[in-house]
Amino acid sequence: MKRGKGMKYVGDSRVNAEKTSQIPKDYSEYPGRTEAFWPNFLLKEWLVGSVFLIGFLSVTIAAPSPLEGLADPTDAAYIPLPDWYFLFLYELLKYDFASGPYILFGILVLPGLAFGALLLAPFLDNGPGRRPATRPVAVGMMILGLSATMWLTYESAAAVDWKQIAEDNKPIPESEQMEVDMDDPGYDVYANSCLSCHGDSLEGGAAGPALIGTEYSGEEIKDIAVNGVGDMPADMFDGSDEELDDLVEFILSVNEQANE
Amino acid sequence: MLQKLYDWIDDRVDVTPIWRDIADHEVPEHVNPAHHFSAFVYCFGGLTFFVVVIQILSGMFLTMYYVPDIENAWESVYYLQTQVAHGQIVRGMHHWGASVVIVMLLLHTMRVFFQGAYKKPRELNWMVGVLIFFVMLGLGFTGYLLPWDNKAYFATQVGLEIAEQVPFIGTYLKTLLAGDPTIVGAQTLTRFFAIHVFFLPGALFGLLAAHFILIRRQGIAGPL
Amino acid sequence: MSKKKNQVSRRQFLNYSLTGLGGFMAAGILIPNLRFAVDPVLKAAGDAGDLTNVSLSVDDITEEPLRVDWDVEQVDGWYESEVNRTAWVFKDENGDIQAFSPICTHLGCFVNWEGSEDHPNEFFCPCHNGRYEKDGTNIPGTPPLEPLHVYEHKVEDGMLFLGDPRPREEA
Repeated sequence: MKRGKGMKYVGDSRVNAEKTSQIPKDYSEYPGRTEAFWPNFLLKEWLVGSVFLIGFLSVTIAAPSPLEGLADPTDAAYIPLPDWYFLFLYELLKYDFASGPYILFGILVLPGLAFGALLLAPFLDNGPGRRPATRPVAVGMMILGLSATMWLTYESAAAVDWKQIAEDNKPIPESEQMEVDMDDPGYDVYANSCLSCHGDSLEGGAAGPALIGTEYSGEEIKDIAVNGVGDMPADMFDGSDEELDDLVEFILSVNEQANE
Repeated sequence: MLQKLYDWIDDRVDVTPIWRDIADHEVPEHVNPAHHFSAFVYCFGGLTFFVVVIQILSGMFLTMYYVPDIENAWESVYYLQTQVAHGQIVRGMHHWGASVVIVMLLLHTMRVFFQGAYKKPRELNWMVGVLIFFVMLGLGFTGYLLPWDNKAYFATQVGLEIAEQVPFIGTYLKTLLAGDPTIVGAQTLTRFFAIHVFFLPGALFGLLAAHFILIRRQGIAGPL
Repeated sequence: MSKKKNQVSRRQFLNYSLTGLGGFMAAGILIPNLRFAVDPVLKAAGDAGDLTNVSLSVDDITEEPLRVDWDVEQVDGWYESEVNRTAWVFKDENGDIQAFSPICTHLGCFVNWEGSEDHPNEFFCPCHNGRYEKDGTNIPGTPPLEPLHVYEHKVEDGMLFLGDPRPREEA
């Protein structure tokens, strides 16, 4: 830009009155097949971007974002999981050397060293060479850290039954939630024997499936309550036959109500 | 007509140099996938920015329905996803985009790292980039809580318990984040909302600006 | 003389003044905001010692653990709610009142007294067959890693008052 005398301004402003060219520079004299950013290169970038966007939009349409049931602080049986990109930290804390008395190693020292080294990488790896072969230590550390992170993430994710979790935690909006009749004589029996695992409105929990939508008949429910089924231990119910009848009637009536 | 309008503005404000400065720089051959297919690795940075733009826009629109209140947050998310036209897409953009940003950021970081592109004189820009990465992780952590579903609630509780383990300041740190020493509740949600929607994006904008200004100033690293 | 006179140049003085004034403005804006943000940390911890009457007469407590349910007011900023709590209450062999939290220390399921006929005189968790002695200690070899948590308690006018559950000190 020119400075000093001879500059022309627009009116009494400080805006330069001299016109800049609107035609891109010709980069053909530059070494290699150099081209202008605008519009030549940007066009190609936006082509890539468009292809990406189509894929991304397809994902959003094909896969609804997950939403579990409304947060219930009393649901003590819920097993928490962080978002996938924090799984490696979550998994790290399960190891003996990063938990219990060594928890500080797991939550501060190790992540601190890893992220600190990442932040200061240009100063730790300050040799002149740029090719990976000329800086084996830095590249080795990065590959080590990267594979450790991927391994931890895999370990953590592989142990989880994602489908089961999604199945167990389908959202139920309040408007569609069951109003359980607490005056029903069967409710007391239910509260004593079943509620702690199957939830206070038969919605199920981590320890027991939902009883709404059960396919068992009344007789079968009686049998299960007394003798157990699958993971459910026997003798969860230990009352009179009359109470058992009340319980079964209660469970079936809630199911009928749910089917309406 | 449009040209006349442009000229009218340009006569008074001289806008041409502003956009010419952004547009007018050469793109060397070694980063151009049209010439060397392997140069597609240079796309990751641009794609990260593209997804960030998607995140900002979808996030802005999501707040038209979302309420950061423990009684209504979940209902509002459920409503906007199931009842509002294209709600699934808008929330999907924000939800899946959060993951895509992390993936793209990781790929971009790996490209820069393995090419040694952070070496002198680009140390500062690398550090700005790593800070952007931290801000993104913070956005991921705070955004996870906002739908106020079970997953969000319990994962946040675990995260806060981890913060509490930090020696000396742990309890204060947890209280500062959660808004209450013991309860993860109404105050936690509003705090996380403020951090997710105002504080961290503010930091992100500043860091992104620094990142881009430094790229323009220093130019892209030469071929290996 | 002239050296001394120029120790602080006019320009330096203006720079210092500007920095000071800028600092004042920044502090003026930030101090109220920061104090506002850290308030939960500095607020005196709520009366954790507040014990609630669980409507159970001490005379009704036997050696057989009894399930007691009560509600506590939980105040979370502007949001007040009733939170349900449960305890297993009994008198130990010395006649002292014990109140255990029923939350399994394994994964937080609900622990029952004599919940399984195979294990009399024990607390039993149906989720993963966790077992506890009557005094609340976890039985080695079962999933729980620590004893059941203990409620703070006191007796007033013959009524039982319970507070917050606390992890038991290593016995």
